[in-house]
Amino acid sequence: MSLPALSPTRCAGPLATRRAFMQIGLTGFASLGLPGLMRLRAENALKPPGERTAVIMVWLPGGLSHVDSYDPKPDIGSEYRGPFKTIATKVPGLRFTELMPLQARIADKFTVLRSMHQTAGGHPAGTMQMFSGDPDTRDKPKPRLPDWMSVAHYLRERAGGRANPLPNYIGVPPASPEYSSPAYLGDAYAPFSVSDDPSRPNFQVPNIGLGDEAETRRLSERLALRKSLDRMERAFDREGELGALDAFEAQAATLLTNPRTRDAFDLGKEDAATRDRYGRNRWGQQLLLARRLVEAGVEIVTSSLNGPLCGRVNNWDDHAVNHHQFEALRFRMPNYDRAVAALIEDIYARGLSKRVLVVVTGEFGRTPKISFDRSTGAGNASAAAGTLQPGRDHWPRAFSNIWAGGGIRTGQVIGATDKRGEDVTERPCAPGDFLSTIYHHLGIDASKITIKDFNGRPTPLVDHGRPIPELIA
Amino acid sequence: MRLALRAAALLILATAPGGAAEATRPPPHFVNDIVPILTKADCNSGACHAKADVGQRGFRLSLLGFEPQEDYEHIVKEAKGRRVFPPAPEQSLLVLKAANLVPHGGGKKLDPGSEEYDALVRWISAGMPYGQPEDPVLSSLEVEPAEAPLAPGASRQLKVTARYSDGSTRDVTRRALYEANDKAMAEADEHGLVRTLDLPGNVAVMVRYSGRVTVFRAAIPLGAPVESLPPEKNFIDRHVFANLKRLGIPPSALCDDSTFLRRVSLDLAGRLPTLEETQAFLASREPDKRARLTNTLLASPDYADWFANKWTALLKNKRDAAADITANFAFHAWMRDSLLANTPYDQIVRQILASTGTIVANPPVAWYKRVKEPVQQLEDVAQLFLGVRMNCAQCHHHPFERWSQHDYYSFAAFFSQIGRKPTAVANEDLIFHKRGIAQIENKKTREPVRPAALGQPTLDIPPDEDPRLRLADWMGDPSNPFFARSLVNRYWKHFFKRGLIEPEDDIRDSNPESNPELLDALAAHFVSSGFDLKDLVRQIVQSHSYQLGSEPNEHNLADTQNFSRYYPKRLTAEVLLDSIDGVAGSKSDFADLPAGTRAVSLPDNSYNRASPFLKVFGRPEGASVCECERVQTASLAQSLHLMNAADVKTKLTAAGGRAETLSKAEMPEPKRIRELYLAAYAREPEAEEVRLAEAHLAKPRTDSTGKPLDSQQARRQGYEDLIWALVNTKEFLFNH
Repeated sequence: MSLPALSPTRCAGPLATRRAFMQIGLTGFASLGLPGLMRLRAENALKPPGERTAVIMVWLPGGLSHVDSYDPKPDIGSEYRGPFKTIATKVPGLRFTELMPLQARIADKFTVLRSMHQTAGGHPAGTMQMFSGDPDTRDKPKPRLPDWMSVAHYLRERAGGRANPLPNYIGVPPASPEYSSPAYLGDAYAPFSVSDDPSRPNFQVPNIGLGDEAETRRLSERLALRKSLDRMERAFDREGELGALDAFEAQAATLLTNPRTRDAFDLGKEDAATRDRYGRNRWGQQLLLARRLVEAGVEIVTSSLNGPLCGRVNNWDDHAVNHHQFEALRFRMPNYDRAVAALIEDIYARGLSKRVLVVVTGEFGRTPKISFDRSTGAGNASAAAGTLQPGRDHWPRAFSNIWAGGGIRTGQVIGATDKRGEDVTERPCAPGDFLSTIYHHLGIDASKITIKDFNGRPTPLVDHGRPIPELIA
Repeated sequence: MRLALRAAALLILATAPGGAAEATRPPPHFVNDIVPILTKADCNSGACHAKADVGQRGFRLSLLGFEPQEDYEHIVKEAKGRRVFPPAPEQSLLVLKAANLVPHGGGKKLDPGSEEYDALVRWISAGMPYGQPEDPVLSSLEVEPAEAPLAPGASRQLKVTARYSDGSTRDVTRRALYEANDKAMAEADEHGLVRTLDLPGNVAVMVRYSGRVTVFRAAIPLGAPVESLPPEKNFIDRHVFANLKRLGIPPSALCDDSTFLRRVSLDLAGRLPTLEETQAFLASREPDKRARLTNTLLASPDYADWFANKWTALLKNKRDAAADITANFAFHAWMRDSLLANTPYDQIVRQILASTGTIVANPPVAWYKRVKEPVQQLEDVAQLFLGVRMNCAQCHHHPFERWSQHDYYSFAAFFSQIGRKPTAVANEDLIFHKRGIAQIENKKTREPVRPAALGQPTLDIPPDEDPRLRLADWMGDPSNPFFARSLVNRYWKHFFKRGLIEPEDDIRDSNPESNPELLDALAAHFVSSGFDLKDLVRQIVQSHSYQLGSEPNEHNLADTQNFSRYYPKRLTAEVLLDSIDGVAGSKSDFADLPAGTRAVSLPDNSYNRASPFLKVFGRPEGASVCECERVQTASLAQSLHLMNAADVKTKLTAAGGRAETLSKAEMPEPKRIRELYLAAYAREPEAEEVRLAEAHLAKPRTDSTGKPLDSQQARRQGYEDLIWALVNTKEFLFNH
């Protein structure tokens, strides 16, 4: 919760931008009903009315080593420095490590935030800080606050006006589902989960377009039978309960039986060159699918880059006991680089760069100082059990994330860390700023809206923080 | 730019109305005049400058002005005094921001030239007086009228009067804040004008001013003729029907036997009636068969399972670690046995609150395993057993209530002497009374406070006495204004979908009940019965109010709070799963429990992980003391699940299930269809329904290769379809 002592300007940004932002505020809703929300959107004019903005969050569970990627420190001693050389990028003066040549080539199409920090050292609490702004530094089994994705899902649904049968929040696959939750919004706002590997030839999404024709026919017959038998008096419903049920049933029936809903998930509809460009592997095809989904009108998409492509332990948690840090990055980063670069390119090439905001982040960075420990098992990116190998541990005090689309100015670098990459020296940005920025793109003024929790307490979406000025259009 | 602004401000000052006469008026008083202006303008709301710990842009006010001394410090002295500038008061940052003359995140809150703006300027120009200790203080708030009938679509202007300690009064209508407790029934604007909408019933408008709250209550009649009412079976009917007559809402007709049987089985025992029960009940000619059924169900273990399911979730019987299983089974069994034996409610609560020892020896101790801190204990106890939400008062005075931080910590002090000794089981302590004077630190004042129950004097409890026993004594005292009311309201909601107070655990002066006489009578009856839960349930379900049909008549569709008809409720996750099993003739399987265990009798939340059905339909995780954790709203995932999920499909095709049995049964088709309808709806099918079902069953079917299926196979598939269709209808998904 408390910021490090350094914090000279908390993500305040240039004065002009700040003024402009301050003028759009609106004060004091104890809790917003639908009309309040609509009014809020209209008055704040955060986004042109009717524009259905979307967000893709690419999630790196366990955390990307910032000093080996977007915030290299080539001039530091060998206790800190990894083996990777740095390379120039499209943006003069901006250098990445050699692990990301494709992103370096398009570095003018995104902005690097090097001054992200939070205060929780564990995966659960760190993830909860990033997803919900919960300041708790202790790990707990379940989130207390809803994550931003569920909140956005909830607010968008309450605002109405979306006729698309596709679910509005899809995880391809969901980001750390064990540490995220709609909490008091209810599970109705949880993600629609696509957990299969979309790079597999027989990739299928359960409940989206039934597999064979006979099954579809039988379901259609059942639906017709039910319709003829359902006699319940509709008139008794005053609170819209039956209406909501009818709407969901119709949506479910469409998803199950209408072949067109399958198209959004059908990567076979992409040409081979495009599929190659993203990488013919799980991560590449996940991000391609994420792009297809926002094009099909899905507004909240997360894609967790986990699994065997990470190495032996299936995530980015490169303690020396898990992975050889540098072998892991050599193993992992080519697929990562390719997939993310392709997604960002497409966002600009396909006219999505205003509507869709892309953010790539993990819950923290990795310890700038290298630690050595014995491997607990052999596998991809890990030597045989007992072998001493280098690793990096959890590092919430400073890390990087990247932002593209959303109409933002790209090719920027925001903030800086010290010579080792251990602490933020310029423009520290906390989870509240991160979340406010995403909410802002979705037309949600996080500093004003509150949602009632289980106890009826109006709970702010974000307790502290404001949109990062360089990252708002 | 700055110069120009200043010149403009001076110009305004020079032309301000009043001139010299203004100077002779006494300057505004900070607490009595200035703070209410800030509150009315929303400056000190939780989303603005009263945001916890930080305020807004470094300027912090206390929530709703409950701490005027702090506010004074922040306005006058903080930030090197730059917020106020007496030589040119309109140049004060406070004024410039409030009027949006310099950019203000909150926009324009005060109009230059308005009464409020003028008061602020005069206060600054007078040197920001705080006021003197002997100045009058606000002693009460009155609204006129306090009560009035209001036709639908009518308006009424309220008048709010503040009364001060010196006997003076002031009209504060303009400065007070207004909020209706049901915005579907009435709206109240910032000027105190109340406008009713088209829903009949009783609505309240909360009126707040300077930390005081009062309420205006309006009865909105429907005004239809109430010509016939069912006979009154008990005091419940007397009060429900009197209210309906007063408001002119004719009730729906009494429900038929099938509806009653299904309804009461679901509400009281958490299950559908069995085929045999249905056939016997519908065939019975006994005039008191509804009463007999009620008594049978109340005596059955299903009643205990169903209510134990409700209570254990609220009491947070959740499994965080595998080792919790013993404690959770023990606690659940204790709760269930207590309900089955009909242990008086005050005794159940006492056994939890004052529990000592180990979980194995004394299962209610498990509550202290889940709820560890005194503040959490007090908040849970207040909300669950008293219907009072105290959590706001941990950090600031409750915004809509009389509860202060002192009240909060005084209540927490009852839990200050809980001793814990580790046992052999990880995370499980032996609970005992730790000798000593019960007291706890008030986080605000840093002073220790001693135990006091809500609205009660501070208690002097000897060090050897467990203060929790004193708390339990107060809870069970017949004069306790919360305990019985909270329970009867909670149970009323269980059966009627809507509490007499909503939400059911938010009892406060500013949130009045929709039918006060009824709530009073229920509470009085419950107390005089010796806190007899089964008797309360019996009174409720035996009333004709409970037995009204759910179909609206030509008048009462709009009624959502006067119980002129039964409001249909969605089946809960557990009941729906059991009911599908019941109709499909299948079984669900849960870890560590015998096959065929019903979902309503599951002891804790751990089964939600293994059962996507329970999770997607919103079975609670025991995370909150609020029933609202159980979400009963529809979702896409639920619809997809019912239509297509593997677990539901497996039930339909279960070996030995109803589809198979019926398809092989030596009965004419209409009889088989009838059995299915009795099982799903507890009613006979109509002729048209039999015809539709028969037509579907007669359809020829082919296998996946296109070969025709034999007639028994085809019929089995037909019955699978029919069961699918029935369990997907609203008539099935709702208790109505």
